[in-house]
Amino acid sequence: MTMHAGGLRSPHVAGPLPAACGIGLRAPHVAEILASTPALPWVEVHPENYMGGGPAIAQLEAVRRDYPVSLHGVGLSLGSDGALDARHLARLRALADRIEPCLVSEHLSWSIAGGAYLNHLLPLPYTEETLAVVAEHVGRAQDALGRRILIENPSSYLRFRHSTIGEPELLAALVGLTGCGLLCDVNNIFVTAHNLGIDPVAYLDALPADAVGEIHLAGHAVNDADGHVILIDDHGSPVAAPVWALYAHALGRFGAVPTLIEWDTDIPELGILMAEAAAADRLIAAAPETRDGRAA
Amino acid sequence: MAALRELQAAIGTAMLGGDAGAAAREIEPDGLAPEARLEIYRHHILTTLTSALEATFPVICRLVDRRFFAYAADTYVRAHPPTGPCLFEYGDSFPDFLAAFPPCRDLAYLPDVARLEWALSAALHAPDVDAVDPARLADVAAEDMPRLTFAVDRSVSFLASPWPVERIWRANQDGAAGDPVDLASGGVRLEVRRAGDVATVRSLAAGDYALRTALARGNTLEDAAAAALGVDPHFDLTAALHAMLDERIFTSFAVST
Repeated sequence: MTMHAGGLRSPHVAGPLPAACGIGLRAPHVAEILASTPALPWVEVHPENYMGGGPAIAQLEAVRRDYPVSLHGVGLSLGSDGALDARHLARLRALADRIEPCLVSEHLSWSIAGGAYLNHLLPLPYTEETLAVVAEHVGRAQDALGRRILIENPSSYLRFRHSTIGEPELLAALVGLTGCGLLCDVNNIFVTAHNLGIDPVAYLDALPADAVGEIHLAGHAVNDADGHVILIDDHGSPVAAPVWALYAHALGRFGAVPTLIEWDTDIPELGILMAEAAAADRLIAAAPETRDGRAA
Repeated sequence: MAALRELQAAIGTAMLGGDAGAAAREIEPDGLAPEARLEIYRHHILTTLTSALEATFPVICRLVDRRFFAYAADTYVRAHPPTGPCLFEYGDSFPDFLAAFPPCRDLAYLPDVARLEWALSAALHAPDVDAVDPARLADVAAEDMPRLTFAVDRSVSFLASPWPVERIWRANQDGAAGDPVDLASGGVRLEVRRAGDVATVRSLAAGDYALRTALARGNTLEDAAAAALGVDPHFDLTAALHAMLDERIFTSFAVST
């Protein structure tokens, strides 16, 4: 089944995401969304916030009755050497069974070393060893969840001396090895490209277009570090003009892909997020269509 | 070239405030020192974990002020980083950390206020488990009653303190009158529980506290009753049990053998 923004939503069918722009669901907006059910095509949440009981999960279930939901994980640490956290994977599975998300995604990054959970999407060296570790973990996650997942490109502030593979080439290889899809974060590409001195358009063009099932957009901060301009992926402002331009290029290459506005610091009122989403929708409307259900 | 395991161990050390040298050697400078690049990540980890602790311990943050809280959080995060990605589960050892943190030595009540805040946070996120139907107790034979044991709602916890921590906590909520709390005004026996969408705290009498904590620890009804009568010779066991059943506090029961 295909769902469109503002169209009839079935609460029980977890079909593909509509090719329209949703928003990241954040705590300050939940009550307003439940009370006024604004015309949002879909919402995305971090599953780690809903793995206990009480009002959080009850609210997510209430939201799910009105909107398609995507689970965007930050805690699996797919790039950590060693086994995946079996307890966390089981909790993710239990949440997915309960919420029936349209989509589940995670990151090309790591967070766990020596039993400590470092609360960040930390960078990986891009080597054959890393590709093997991440591919094994993506495979295990997909097996445990019984579904394909999308993997998101991180924002980077450094690169390792011994990397031998480009990031888009590594993501393409991961798709080939595991059958996973890609979540293309256009702001992250812009931030990484600036910080590491690479060409963002060439990066986009190196991604396997058929694998891209979702796009993320967000704002970034421009910081001065010892006289060196570093872009910080802080999700704390409107999408920047050059990121909109890169997004238009991405839509031209990937087609009308479901898109999401993320905003995590200095969270504005809901209307501002919805205006950002509407701006993305205008670009999606001009994009070529994609094959139905490509990344579901 | 470092293998992934060694590289991640080195970065983990750097992220928790340890020596960044081994990690820095693996990073291209690209016009900015590798240490400065690592610091971007470390700063994010520290500030987001400090924010998570502030969200769980807002009264502690208010009592010691934000700058001191950030200093305490920095020390705590380095020594006790999270072990999993659900940050609502982070901070269970923060009260004990505060108790042993030398700069807090003169704030003897602080760890118990932190224990109350942790209990409230844990109650809010505790798993949902249905209460047992009180009518099912009618099936228990009278001679088995003394050997009854109960499982208590997962959101419930108990806290005894020589300090007036409930009054300190209430005086530091938004919109509270701000009247000073007399630290010598006496201790408390508290029960924390989720009720609907909010975590609640209330004071218990000595007998009820003894009964409920004993049952929550898995003691038999007979032993729990003895504990309650030990602190209150006039304790009304029947009324206390009916109150607990009315509150739907038990999620299961069994007759111990």
